[in-house]
Parts: sequence; structure tokens; C-alpha cells
Amino acid sequence: MKRLMLLLTLLLACMTPALAEEDPGLALDRILAELEHSAAGIETLASDFVQEKHLEMFRETLVSRGRFYFARPDKLRWEMTEPVASGFLLNGDSGSRWHERAGAAVPFDIAREPGMQLIAQQLLAWARVDIVWLVRQYRMTLVSEQPVTLKLVPLQAGAEQFVEYLQIGFDAERRYVETVEVHEPGGDSTRISFAGTELNQPLDPALF
Amino acid sequence: MLFAALYRLFAPRRALLFLLTLLLLGAGLTGLTRLEVREDIESMLPDDTSRVADDFRRLQQAPFARKVLISLHGSQITSTATLLEAADGLAAALSSEYFSRAATGPAMLENNRLPDWLETNLPLLLGADDRQRIADELTPERVRGRLETDYQRMLSPEGWLLKGGIRRDPLELRNLGLDKLRFVNPIAKTRLHNGHFLSSDGRSALIIADSSVAITDSGGGARMLEQFRQAADGVLPKGIEASLVSGHAYTVANAEAIQRDLFVVLTASTLGLAVLFMLFLRSWRSLFVFLVPVSVVGLAAVAVSWCYPAVSGVTLGFGAVLLGIAVDYGLHVYFVLRQGDEEPEIALGRISRPVLFGALTTLAGFAVLLTSSLPGQRQLAIFAMTGITSALLLALIVLPHLVVPGWRPTPRRLYQSLAVEPRRKSGLLLLLWLAILVGCSWKVAEVPINGDLRSLSLIPAELLASEHELQQTWGNLRSLAMVFAEGGTLQEALAANDMLFELLRRELPEAPVVSLAPLLPAATTQANNLRHWREFWEQRGEATRRLLREAGAERGFATAAFDPFFAGLQRQPEPVTVATLRQVGLGDLLDALLLDQGEKVQLVTLVPDTPEVAALFTADAALPPGIHLVSQARFGREVGNAIRADFMQFLTLAGGAVLIMVSLLLRRPGKILLALLPVATGLVVMLGTMGWLGMEFNLFNIVATILVIGLGVDYGIFMVCLDDPGEDKATRRAVLVAGMTTLVGFGALVFAQHPALHSIGATVLLGIGGAVPTALLVVPALRRERR
Repeated sequence: MKRLMLLLTLLLACMTPALAEEDPGLALDRILAELEHSAAGIETLASDFVQEKHLEMFRETLVSRGRFYFARPDKLRWEMTEPVASGFLLNGDSGSRWHERAGAAVPFDIAREPGMQLIAQQLLAWARVDIVWLVRQYRMTLVSEQPVTLKLVPLQAGAEQFVEYLQIGFDAERRYVETVEVHEPGGDSTRISFAGTELNQPLDPALF
Repeated sequence: MLFAALYRLFAPRRALLFLLTLLLLGAGLTGLTRLEVREDIESMLPDDTSRVADDFRRLQQAPFARKVLISLHGSQITSTATLLEAADGLAAALSSEYFSRAATGPAMLENNRLPDWLETNLPLLLGADDRQRIADELTPERVRGRLETDYQRMLSPEGWLLKGGIRRDPLELRNLGLDKLRFVNPIAKTRLHNGHFLSSDGRSALIIADSSVAITDSGGGARMLEQFRQAADGVLPKGIEASLVSGHAYTVANAEAIQRDLFVVLTASTLGLAVLFMLFLRSWRSLFVFLVPVSVVGLAAVAVSWCYPAVSGVTLGFGAVLLGIAVDYGLHVYFVLRQGDEEPEIALGRISRPVLFGALTTLAGFAVLLTSSLPGQRQLAIFAMTGITSALLLALIVLPHLVVPGWRPTPRRLYQSLAVEPRRKSGLLLLLWLAILVGCSWKVAEVPINGDLRSLSLIPAELLASEHELQQTWGNLRSLAMVFAEGGTLQEALAANDMLFELLRRELPEAPVVSLAPLLPAATTQANNLRHWREFWEQRGEATRRLLREAGAERGFATAAFDPFFAGLQRQPEPVTVATLRQVGLGDLLDALLLDQGEKVQLVTLVPDTPEVAALFTADAALPPGIHLVSQARFGREVGNAIRADFMQFLTLAGGAVLIMVSLLLRRPGKILLALLPVATGLVVMLGTMGWLGMEFNLFNIVATILVIGLGVDYGIFMVCLDDPGEDKATRRAVLVAGMTTLVGFGALVFAQHPALHSIGATVLLGIGGAVPTALLVVPALRRERR
């Protein structure tokens, strides 16, 4: 009988934490729903960014700075100011890019540039917090809840050649992305940190 | 006289004569139903070993000649996505019964393996020029510039995608490979959007389809076009329109035009013949006269089938019309028997001589066509000669028994004013004739000869607009010149193709060329390229490593940053073959540009059809063996030259034959000249008026000219054979009615919209229009002057 009581006690002891903690899948769904809800009210976004690249092919970390702008539904401007002035903007299917050496901006068709198309999809998805699209592209796990940090492993065949996983961090109020880390096979990584983010401030139409 | 004797022989045995005739004609009609008739235009092109014949055969192999091109046009507000969706929808809605394959974009860009494949195979594909370009890049300044660009690209958000490529190829040698793709794009003005053909302005999409319907099949073509229209109406959203351009559209347009024309022309000529009948014949027995040429069509066609396995439809149609001239023999027999004052056998004996000689001169004219290099014209000669001979024999042996004499119509005022009383106005008449002759002679030499076969076809304005729009939107797809590189084996052909490509790049560096040579060099060329590639890097490898290390260090690149590049230089790529090109999506291109015919292999290179290109491939140019240019523009010029040469040859031979025949018959120079006057006047009026009106001379005009010669001489012979031009009213009436039936029968073709039919009508109308008045008015006037 003593043995039986001991066994029951152990069993209860094991079950109690399971009953107390939330299922990780349910927690992720809840977090994603909250992120989607919070981001739904964001029409424009402007932010400074710092990009750090840790690459095997460079002796030192590559650091660049600039400013990022977004306006719903599909306007985006990525403006690097250091170490060189360059960048690109997207407006629907079309866009243009510029560089301090070249001077004037050069238009491009996003459909003709698969690389740029991929980057644009990613940036727009994160800026809009497009959970539906992201769930189709990545297997997500919740790294931390406060602040929200997600780990994303690409689902598309062939993507693993370029990306091992992404890690995305959100601001404390879960409205926008604060950090993006791209971890590549072989150990290279890129980290983009956004700071001084302004939400729903009027943006000059000339930016796009 | 033979025919008078035959008349007497058969007079009591008419039933037997009619029975034999019916049996013969019945056999001809039976043979007609069993003929194998070809509808294509090939019979109107030379079948000898001339370059024209060779060019035509090669033109049939043009990549876009047998394709159906469908261009979709959106409105100002149509989005690219909607336009491309519409293109996909229409391609799917095209029935496989008529469209065997419909592509909205190039297969080669549907997979992304091509750039990597090019990069891997650079050692096999890059030639001496490319290696020189690499050498030019290997200076400290250029390398520094490249690495600066690489560094900045690594800073961009795309950097993590580009990293592998930059490490493998910091100097962007892959651009030399990608540069080769510009030589495999036959649609010059396209850009690709999500794997679709999209015009440079983004407003048009393109579908390229294959069709199982033969281009010469007008019925199948019409059903195909109808299916396209139904599919377009069914699937295209509002604001998007589609137009189709293919050889089928031309065939259908021409077949429909000819059907419309036949109704107009037959109505006009039937009405005209009815009027002539009411004015001059007025007897049901005269219908037999018109039956003579109709009844010999079968015999003529059977004769052609004995000489040729398949009879051209053009020969049958045109030949049957030509036989209309045989009505003249019957008319002479009819008038002399029905309206003359002599006994039938005497009248027949008298008329048979000029009728026989008239027919012989016409036969001589058509016999000249036997020398033609065009099988269609040779078939036409056999057809016309058999038909005319049969009609002549029917007119002189059978017709007299059907046309019973005894009825005389009252002479009509119209006829009297036209032909009977010219004598008081001889001087004025001759002056007018001379003035017309001089006026027309002035322009005879100015008639241009048009050898473009397309000018013989009707091109409706709508189709022309579609073709023009297609050209404006997508470039000159359908009329590029082709250069063939030929060999007994694939490797021989590829080697010739390599030499050709080198020649074109050297001599015409700016010309847009479509060729397989940059992506599929011959095995020997690939081996050479690989050997030179290795030698190149053996000489420059270490220096390049040093350059990259030093310039890279300035920008922070690690020492081992470009190790993958140097490892790649050591790789041994597999030879490029037809199979590997298919694997990377270039199958369509191979199907269009590589023609493996078993005993020989041909590679097609597409070049602009310009005088500069033609000059490079002149006969005396030192070209590599197995190279042939086929250009539509040059083909048109060559056919034009062939027509010009044929015309001069025919005119000389026919003129000589006619002169000999007329000399044998008439013997006296004065009479000979008089007999030739109508034909000479007819030709001068015909060519002169064409010159004044700016009309061109084409393939069909040659045959029509021989018709004018044959008939014009007939009129002259008849008028000169008259003892008294004022008294033999039956013969004069026969000449007048014969001339008018020709004008009505052939001249009615001038109302046709179809250029070929119209040109025949115009030629005959002008030629016979000049010959008949000369025969009826000028010849008698000159005879009176001489007396």
C-alpha cells in the first residue's frame, strides 16, 4: 500500500507542472494573434537601423546604418547612410535603387529581380507583421515571451542553403520588430537592430 | 481539205460521231475525279537546282513560319497580373484539335538552373574575345573597383543571398556567360515577367502556338481561327483584346476573297456573255460553242496527270479559265456555218485554215511555257495545249454537225458602227491608233517586275494591321533572314555554325543575331576553349590571387575570401551537348534552330534581313563551306529576276514561234506585218497602260501575256485571211464576238479583289482591248491604204 501511495504521489507530482504550464504551441498561437492584432493598427513606420554582419569572408564585422520607412500596403524605403549612401525603395511592383557613386536613382522591375523580390517579401512581411504569410514560409518556435522573440526555420526546399534560421525580436508592446538576426549555414550571421521607431506618423509621399 | 472531207464522212454517221465524242469526254471527266490535286504554292516556284528553289525549301524551315502568334493587348488600366492571367487562360482554352502546344513564355527561364549552368561551363563556352575581356579586367584598378562593388553589395539586405556568388566569382565572370543568352532570344522586344512574354511597355502578352493544321488547308484554317475567336470571347476579360497572326490567316483570307471574287466575276461575265448572246447569236445552238472549252477540261487535266503525279490546284483553276479562249474556234465555225452564204463543207474548208493556224500560234505560245523552271507553268502548258488541241478538233469535226445552218440574224446597228463602216474615217483612225501606240510605248519599259510572292496574295487591312502591330510590339519575328550551317554530322554542322557566328560577330558586330553557337559550340571548339582557359589561368592565376588578396585587404576581405573562386578554376566541366541544353530548358530553342534530317544536320542562325547582311553572303564572298543565307527580301528579288528572265525568254521564244507560224501561213511580208499588228498593239497598250498606271508585273501576268499573244495573233490572221475585209461579215463578226467574249470572260477578273485574279483581268483587258480594235479597224484601214 505504501508503495502504491508513493507511486500515486510521484505521478501527481509529475502531472502538476503540466497542468500548470501552457502548451508551447498554444502559447505561440496566442502570441502570434497578439502580434497580428497590435500591428493591424500600424499604417506607417519609420525607424533608424544598424546592421551588423559577421561574415567569414571579412576580417571584421561590417557595420552599416540608415533609416527604414514603411507605409501600408506595399511602400518601403531602405536608406543606408553609412558607410556609403545607397538604398532602394519599393512601391508595389516597381521600385528604384540609388548609390552615391551613381547619383540618380535607377528604376527596376521587382519581378525581374528574384533576389530583390525575396528581400522585399521578407521586409514587407515583417513590417506588416503578416502572420499568415510568415506561417507558410517558416516553422516558428517561441524563444521568449517578454520581450517576444521568435525563431524561424525556413520551410521552402532549397532555402536551407542560404538560411539556417532567423530570430526576430519585437518591442515590449509587441507592435513592431526591433531586431532581426539571420543565421546562415557555416556560422555567418547578420543582425539588424531598429531604434527610435515612429508609428503612424505622416510620411512625405516623396519618400516613395 | 481535210476538215471538209471529215464533215462529209460524218454527215451520214452523226450518231456514231456523237457517241465517240461522248465516250472520250466521259473518260476525261472520270479521270478528272481521280486526280490528286495539291493546293500549295510550291508548284509556282522553281523545282530545279537553282538557288531560288533551294531558298524556298529552306524558307519553309523558318522557326516562326509555321507558328501561330497570338498577341494580347491590355488597356491603360489593365494590370500586368490580369494581362498574364488572361494569356494563361486563353492558352488553356485553345483546343488541342487545332493548337498542339501553346506557350506563354520561354521554357528556358522557367527553371533557375541556367545561370549556374552557364557559370559552371564558362571554360567550355568562352572564346578568345571573352578571355581577352577577362585579361582586360585583371588590373589593380579594375580588381579594386570590382571588390568595392562586392563590398557594397554585401552591405545591402540582399548581401546574404549574394555572398556565395561573390566568393565563387568576385570578378563577375558569369556576366560573360549571361551575355551569351542575348544570342538565343528570337523575340527581340520582349521582357520576361514571371516566366511570361511581356512587351517592353508592359501592355501586351504573347502566346506562341504550334498547329496541326497545314498552312495551306483553308478549311482547317477557318475552323482553327473560329475556335480561337470563340476561346478569346469566352475567356478574355473586358479591356483585353487578342489578335492572331499566322500563315493560316492568310490562307483563309485568300480563300474567302477568291470565293467572293468568283461570285462577282462569274456574275459579271455571265451577264456579259448573255448580252453578247442576245446581240450576236440568238440561237440555242450557239450554246454548243460555249460547251466546247468546258467539255475538254477533263481531257486536259488527265494529260497533265500522265506527266506529273500530282496536279497543282492553281493549274487546274487557272487552266480551266484559260481554256475559255478555245471558244473562239467554235465561234468562227458557228458564224461561217450559220451566217455565211456557202455550203457547209465549203465554208468549213475555208475557215479551217485560219482557225487551224490561229490555234497553232496559240499552241506555240503555250509550248514556250514548257521551258519554264516552274512546275506549275509547265503543267499549265500541257493543260492548255491538250485543251486547245481537243477544243480545236471538237470545233472543226464535231461542232459543225451540231450547228445546223439555215438561220441568219439581222445585222445589228451596234455591230455595224463598230466594225463595218470604218472606211471614211481611215486617216483619223490611223492617227488615233498611232497616237495611242506612241503614248503607250513611252511607258513600256517602266513597268516594274514584282517577284514578291506575297504580292500575289490578298492581305486584308485587318491582318496587315495585326502583322504591323506584332512587329511593333515584339520585333520582326516573321521576316528575319536565316543563315544555314550544314554538315553531314552534328559536329560538322556545329563547326560550320561556329565559323558562321565568328564571321557575323566580326563583320556585323552590332547586328542582333540569334544562334546556338554561343551555347552549343562544336566539341572541338569546346576542347580548344577549355585548353586555352587552362593556359590562361596557368599564366595569370597566381597574379590574380595576389591582386585579389591585396585589393581585398583594403576593403577588409579575409585572405581566404575567394578560395572558392580559385577552386572553381580547377574544375573539369562535362562537355556541353544537345541533351544538357535540353536539361537546362533550352529544348524549344533547339527544336527551332537545330534541324536533324538524318543524312544532314542544319543549324539555323537568325539575322536581320538587311542589305548589309545580304552583302556579306554574296555569291563571290569567301564563306566557310556549308553556309547558305536565305532571306525573304533576297528571295523576292531572285524570284523577281527569275520572272524577268522568264518573261524575256518567253516573249522571245513565243514571238519567234508566232513569227515562224505566221510566216509559214501568210508568206508575204506585208500580210505578216499586218497579221502581227493586233498582237503588237495589244502588248504595247497593255505594258504602256500598266506603266502609266504604276501597275506591277507579276508571275500571273506572264501567262496572261502569252494568252494575249496567242489571241492577238489569231485576230490578225483571221483579218488578213479575208479576201475582202468589207465583205466577209461572218469572219469579222466572229473576230468581234471572240474578242468581246474574251474581254467579258477574262476582263471580268478586273473586278476581283484578289491581286492575282485582278492582275490577270487587267492584263487581258488591256491586251485584248488593244488587239481587237486594231484587228477590226486598223488592219482593214491599212489594207485599204495599201490598195
